[in-house]
Amino acid sequence: MKWVQIVAMSVLACILFALEWPRLSRLPKRDKAAFITLLFVAWVLSMLDLPNLPGPTTFINALFRPLGQYLE
Amino acid sequence: MGRLLEQGKISSSQMSKMLFLVIVASTVISVPSLTGKYAQNDLWLSPILASLIGFLTVFIVFSLNRLYPQQTVIQYSPDIIGKVPGKIFGLLLLFFYLHITGLIVRNYAEFIMGNFLPQTPISIVIFTMIAVCVYGVKAGIETIGRTAQVFFFFFLFPLILMPFLLRDMHLDFVFPMFEHGLLPALKGAIIPQAYFSEMFLMSFLLPYVTDPEKGMRAGMLATLGVAVVLTGVNIFILLVFGRQSSDYLYPVMAAFRYISIADFIENLDSVVMTVWILGMYVKISVFYYATVLGTSQWLELSDYRPIVIPIGMLIAAISFWSMPNINAPVISFPFYSPLMQTICPLLLLGVAYLRKKGKRQSQAQTAAASGSVHSEKQEG
Repeated sequence: MKWVQIVAMSVLACILFALEWPRLSRLPKRDKAAFITLLFVAWVLSMLDLPNLPGPTTFINALFRPLGQYLE
Repeated sequence: MGRLLEQGKISSSQMSKMLFLVIVASTVISVPSLTGKYAQNDLWLSPILASLIGFLTVFIVFSLNRLYPQQTVIQYSPDIIGKVPGKIFGLLLLFFYLHITGLIVRNYAEFIMGNFLPQTPISIVIFTMIAVCVYGVKAGIETIGRTAQVFFFFFLFPLILMPFLLRDMHLDFVFPMFEHGLLPALKGAIIPQAYFSEMFLMSFLLPYVTDPEKGMRAGMLATLGVAVVLTGVNIFILLVFGRQSSDYLYPVMAAFRYISIADFIENLDSVVMTVWILGMYVKISVFYYATVLGTSQWLELSDYRPIVIPIGMLIAAISFWSMPNINAPVISFPFYSPLMQTICPLLLLGVAYLRKKGKRQSQAQTAAASGSVHSEKQEG
């Protein structure tokens, strides 16, 4: 299951890259760098076991915990 | 940075329909249970109190837009509080929108799975929705505006069905009013006010409105519409379920399952779901669009279309991130959302006004000084 996920996400990332590149190659360097960085970050994230990792939601919840307790 | 990333234009009435759907789509299904938990049978008052935040946010965004027309918040915040702090604020705001879009998509998928597709893997529900939204966002703001315009009337359809519930309603559920004073109703308003502050999305839409001077009216109308709809829904749910309304996760769906006329008109909850998905599509598209447009303005790119798909993947990733089980509540949302979308912009507006005032004063001083120099010369 884990390997299927990794292979599927890599194939997806490659397909997206191939689809977008012809249009992207005419744009400035800055656009290319942004596209590649964001795609790379998304690709790396998609291979992790995200549901069980602490992430932005955990961080924000910890930050606002004192206020949240008021609501409980 | 003079040129615009987005060439499309929308009208102010399209903008107000977009904003209406943005807030109503996610609140209408679950807000009676969320407010009912705290407000008990005063839950009809909570949306009215919460809408005050919406009106305030519209006023803030519109005033900022008057000072910096043709610019979004990502573009004018460096002008107001300086380059580095402005960029940092922009980054925090973009992170907020990325995060919230992920949570909205997750919410949508949970709802679909919980009510209609219990066997489908959640990733399929999430990916299909994001794929549709990619199409909408790539097509630009004009397309989203027109879909909102069309879907708006569909969205009002379930409200017409509400009177079918009259048989199951009990007026005595409303009483006793204000048993424990106003505090429970105020507490119940904490969650809806977080949704009302989403009116701040207007900041990303106003630069592309053809008649921006009507923006204030459009935004206020959208807020008023949301307040009326939410109050109406809360009253209906209260009259049907009474104090039990907070026991249901999606009370509106449960109420529509009650409708049965001559054993012929039944299962109207599927109609509600269909219409709700249309609204949710507009909501996710607008949030997604704001994230993509804001990111490309923050990075000063020449086009926003290339980063649509990578950001869609990030949204999908965030919708899974650190939420292992169904309905893990995000307790921070009622505070995080107004902090980023109402309080920080209010501070921005304050600084912008002071700067403008300071500039005018210094201009007046220099004008007076040069005037006096001029007169001295004349005397000499």
